[in-house]
Amino acid sequence: MTAAAPSDLTLPMLRCASCGYLDTPSHAVCRACLSTNLQPVEVPAIGRIVSFTTIRRAPSRFRDQAPYHVAVVDLDAGPRVTGRLAAGPPALALGARVCALSAEPTDLLFTIRDNS
Amino acid sequence: MRDVCIVGIGSTPFGRHAGTPIEQLAVRAAAEALRDSGVDRGRIGALYLGNFISGPLNGKEILAGIVGDQLGLPNIPCTKVEGACASGGIAFRHAWMAIASGQCDAAVAVGAETMTHAAGAQVTAALNCAMDNEDDAPSGLTFPGLFGLAWRIHAQRYGTTRAQVSAVVRKNKAYGLRNPLAQMGADLTDADIAASAAICDPLQLFDCCPTSDGAAAVVLAARPLPSDLQSVPVDILASVQTRGAARIAGHPDLCSFDATVSAAQRAYAMAGIAPTDVDVVELHDCFSIAEVIDSEDLGLVPRGQGGAWALEGRTAVDGQVAINPSGGLLAKGHPVGATGVGQIYEIVRQLRGTHANQVRGAKIGMTHNLGGTGVACTVSLLRRAA
Repeated sequence: MTAAAPSDLTLPMLRCASCGYLDTPSHAVCRACLSTNLQPVEVPAIGRIVSFTTIRRAPSRFRDQAPYHVAVVDLDAGPRVTGRLAAGPPALALGARVCALSAEPTDLLFTIRDNS
Repeated sequence: MRDVCIVGIGSTPFGRHAGTPIEQLAVRAAAEALRDSGVDRGRIGALYLGNFISGPLNGKEILAGIVGDQLGLPNIPCTKVEGACASGGIAFRHAWMAIASGQCDAAVAVGAETMTHAAGAQVTAALNCAMDNEDDAPSGLTFPGLFGLAWRIHAQRYGTTRAQVSAVVRKNKAYGLRNPLAQMGADLTDADIAASAAICDPLQLFDCCPTSDGAAAVVLAARPLPSDLQSVPVDILASVQTRGAARIAGHPDLCSFDATVSAAQRAYAMAGIAPTDVDVVELHDCFSIAEVIDSEDLGLVPRGQGGAWALEGRTAVDGQVAINPSGGLLAKGHPVGATGVGQIYEIVRQLRGTHANQVRGAKIGMTHNLGGTGVACTVSLLRRAA
């Protein structure tokens, strides 16, 4: 992923081999059919902002990073994820298109892609 | 199922109880409830205690057994239950179930928490145990942050304004001033609220409940009621517990909690009443915008109009439906495990007609207790006995 353009980044997910349900990696069984046959897949790290906030009083392990922006994003691939946003208001609007600048599981960072 | 009544109530003030061990707060509240009821301790058949974070903050577990022991109760089951901020409501519901199902004829529900002795970062870390620490917490999201997300959607979709949300804060803080149990009542202006510290956009400090110590307790008994009863009984029409999404991504709509919606619907059906029959409500206003959302989720206010109703005074004590005349979590305080039982305490006072912010002629009251990011919810409906 080193030289990739931001919109080319992907996020790891699990796809159920039995029913096709796609979910985040933090699951042992498929919530749709209870199968344990979950296959790792990568999905494009692009989607739309559902909502966002700016955290000014942070938990101790994030205190040195505050203030920072947290967003809930609906990925085009389906799953909803919680991550960081590189820029806050006033550039942001609910429903704005975003793509990932970083897609590490512990460092999921989005930025605005366009204003469509 | 047997008919069950609340026959005794007790509570410590919510606030700072520096140096008082958590079990002593719980015992004080429960002893007050037992004295209030007049019911002999020998009749108590079960005790349920709601607590969230006494393990991490006090290094104390088995609180239910400790409290039962210190109260001199018989050799009965004493059980701690946990559902984050809904722990107290869950304790109450379990006590109701034990009696309704015929397991025992009388029971005690108690909720307790101590938080103010711990450092802020320690409290935040403990509270964050109630979040999905795999999917949600790595982003740095906080509980106020969750309600910041919800507020933005509510504002965009329904046009909810800062002034409308501030009306919730001003109302609850003002009621807190007159509630002797409340931690942080205040006479605030919109400017005071706007000038308070920014916590997470759009929430300011006064939009957030404080951290608190405290305990509350109630005694429940089956009908026919014990002959030694001293208090005015209150009927439990319904008590419902539901699960909601355990992670942010699971919520179909970030400015509604499905656990609240389904708990309320089931409670109304169980009680055979409509939302318009409810006179007074204690609901889970952990943040100002939460009261707006909860009032809509409970079916008390039309969807999207929670802010407008607050600003128009329709949720005041003399309004259409009185919401949080105790001051709510915002002003009364939020000793997490105690809150749900404290709400029952407040509604019983209303139905007895002895509340400091009395809703005139209140006959039916409701409590709503919500835990985690909406993962656990209890709704109870209570009625003044005929």
